Amino acid sequence: MEIKIQTENDGVVGYFAGRLDTPASLQASKDIQPLLEQADKTIILDFSDLEYISSSGLRILLTLRKEASRKGGEVVIRGIREEIRQVFLMTGFYNLFVIQG
Amino acid sequence: MPQKENNKRFRNLFARRGLLILISAAVMLELTAVLQYYYSRKGLREEAINRAESELALCEAQISDVMDQVETAVRNDLWAVRKVLAYPDSLYSLTQRMLEYNPVIYGSAVAMIENYYPSKGRLYSPYSFRDSSGIHSIDLGTETYDYPTQEWFTEALTHPDGYWSEPYYDEGGGEMLMTTFSMPLYDKKGRTVAVLTADMSLEWLTELVGNVKVYPSAFSILVSRSGQMMVAPAETLVMQTNILDVAARAAMDSTEGRSFAQAMLAGEEGSRVIRRGDLVDHVFFSPLERTGWSMAIVIPEEEIYGKVKRLGLVVAILQLLGLVLLVFIIRNTAVSFLRLQDVEQRKDMMESELKIASGIQMSMLPKTFPHFPERCDLDMYGVIIPAKEVGGDLYDFFIRDDRLFFCIGDVSGKGVPASLVMAVTRSLFRTVSGHEGNPDRILATMNDSMTEMNESNMFVTCFIGIMDLGSGVVRYSNAGHNAPLVLGKEGVRMLDVHPNVPLGVLEGMRFTTQEMILSEGESLFLYTDGLTEAENAENQLYGETRLLEATAHLTGFSAKEQVDKVEVSVREHVADAPQSDDLTILNIKYMGRPKTLTERHLILHNDIQQIPQLADFVETIASESGMDQAMAMQVNLALEEAVTNVIMYAYPAGTDGLVDVEATLRVGEVEFLISDSGCPFDPTSRDEVDTSLSAEERPIGGLGVHLVRRIMDEVSYSRVDDRNMLRLIKKLSA
Repeated sequence: MEIKIQTENDGVVGYFAGRLDTPASLQASKDIQPLLEQADKTIILDFSDLEYISSSGLRILLTLRKEASRKGGEVVIRGIREEIRQVFLMTGFYNLFVIQG
Repeated sequence: MPQKENNKRFRNLFARRGLLILISAAVMLELTAVLQYYYSRKGLREEAINRAESELALCEAQISDVMDQVETAVRNDLWAVRKVLAYPDSLYSLTQRMLEYNPVIYGSAVAMIENYYPSKGRLYSPYSFRDSSGIHSIDLGTETYDYPTQEWFTEALTHPDGYWSEPYYDEGGGEMLMTTFSMPLYDKKGRTVAVLTADMSLEWLTELVGNVKVYPSAFSILVSRSGQMMVAPAETLVMQTNILDVAARAAMDSTEGRSFAQAMLAGEEGSRVIRRGDLVDHVFFSPLERTGWSMAIVIPEEEIYGKVKRLGLVVAILQLLGLVLLVFIIRNTAVSFLRLQDVEQRKDMMESELKIASGIQMSMLPKTFPHFPERCDLDMYGVIIPAKEVGGDLYDFFIRDDRLFFCIGDVSGKGVPASLVMAVTRSLFRTVSGHEGNPDRILATMNDSMTEMNESNMFVTCFIGIMDLGSGVVRYSNAGHNAPLVLGKEGVRMLDVHPNVPLGVLEGMRFTTQEMILSEGESLFLYTDGLTEAENAENQLYGETRLLEATAHLTGFSAKEQVDKVEVSVREHVADAPQSDDLTILNIKYMGRPKTLTERHLILHNDIQQIPQLADFVETIASESGMDQAMAMQVNLALEEAVTNVIMYAYPAGTDGLVDVEATLRVGEVEFLISDSGCPFDPTSRDEVDTSLSAEERPIGGLGVHLVRRIMDEVSYSRVDDRNMLRLIKKLSA
């Protein structure tokens, strides 16, 4: 699991790659700290390389989403794979984020 | 609305019926009235005729009697006169004696023919008469009274048996209406020598006839041979008028009037109906013997029929009152009938609504079989044959977490109340077993709810079972219901059950749970006592013995066939006897699990870092089962969530524990059994996550179990031998 955070023209982009399972979530929750700090802006999460996500991974996303709405920012997800999209649908997360592509 | 409509229709119908009754009653009353009137009239008419005729006859007899006296007196006198003919002066004393002996005779004369006694001159007629001062005698034969020319004299000459003169006014003597009977006297040679007379006053006659009062306003008429009115309703008519003139008068000028007058004069006897303007008179007349006079009695019709008219009026009024009363009664009856009907209708409506309600409940019971067509481990069949009256039998079942929850019950009593209690029982079973997995506690909770609201003291016998579909283990609890049968390979046996107490009897009752294993191919045959107590015409119960015989060799048959065969057996026993109670059967045949293809086993420590190993394990199974990428990922996710839960919650922090994962690949499904020896933890008991909530409202936890449920086809938890057992099944699409 790898999370890379870059500031681009569109805003802050978090690139998620690999499996965001329970063990990975422990590290991931630390890795997204910079994103939480910039939650007043538009945060883009790029899931193009995210292969897997468990409920602990979803919880991290929910934390981020809550922080953004508290600070007046926005969380946009792009490049989501079909398998992940199914999980989002099953959990109702699909409606919590702006999903592109 | 339809009830109102009905009422209206009924009201119309009733109004029509009422009207019909009224009309028939009126017609009948009128008919009776007419008949009565007719017969009364007839009777009265006959009575009037009788009275008139008898009065006429009586009068005639009286008159005849008097006249007889007179005639006899004169006849007797003939002989005396003949004896003293030689002594003309002695004739005076004879006439005097005549008066003395006969008070009815007013005057009497012996009128000699002309020149009989040369010494007495041409006319000699000694005559005695009476007045207020006594009897006086004179000689009628004066120059002023030429008696040989008088009617009484001349007529007597030609009437050897005597002659009654026309009535006349005796102007010289009593100033009264008189008639004279005269008879000729012959000498030995047969020559007429004298005429003997007796005058008779008609005062008594007019009085007699005038007093004939058949009816108060009836009157009599007496006319002479020539039609002279001797007795008439008006004094002025007497002797002044002829009956023919009266009959010719305008008011009476009618055929009947003239015919009546002529008939009287002709001496006929009979009756006539004479119209005088609006008035109608009934006239009865009869001639008097000897004289040729005729008497008539006139009775105004009003007099005859007045009574019946008055009676008719009274009857009519009474009938009218009767009709009014009838209307009143009919109306009242109709109103009370309608009210009664209203109540009945309302009752019927309520009853039918309740029936519909219980019907709906019945229809909600699972009735389509096979009910779980996708399952190959279960073959079920159930049937409720309701008796005529709605009853209180029920059965129900559903699958939760790979466990079959089922129940069968029988509410005491029959009818709508029983069916309502049945509905309540069924919904309680659903509600309670939705979150409770122990049969005894399900029964206890149901019992408490039912005793709390059981005001009608109804109770329910109930048997509840929970079968683990993976193992065939059935945990069951009984509340006073009859023991189910187990149709096993070694034959049929009755399941050992603790009777306990029916539901709804006592609050706070505790029930016991028992356990049995249903092997592959065995059936659990549940039924209500409507089966064993089915009666034939001789009141013999079907009974357990017959049931055990009928089910003895049914292992090879499907659940439906087994039930059908029992039904046939019951029908044969009962034959034509009416079904007295609901008959309910629920048959559960366990088919066992499909054939196992592969089994894999993984043991993990309670460490999150072991999750990748689980992922590899699942990946292997997934590829062996031929799942596609997406499904494999989802199954992986479900397993990770389930195992993570165990790692996080089953063991207290810091303690070491193991998590067993057994994967079984069968035809059409993969089963994962996750077990651990940690503290009891049932993930399936957690509330469902509300996925429709907004980000702000969404709780952080609960997602894992939600995903497991969403991804897996069956999720069931059980705690066996101090181990948490979570069974997950994923169906494989063909």
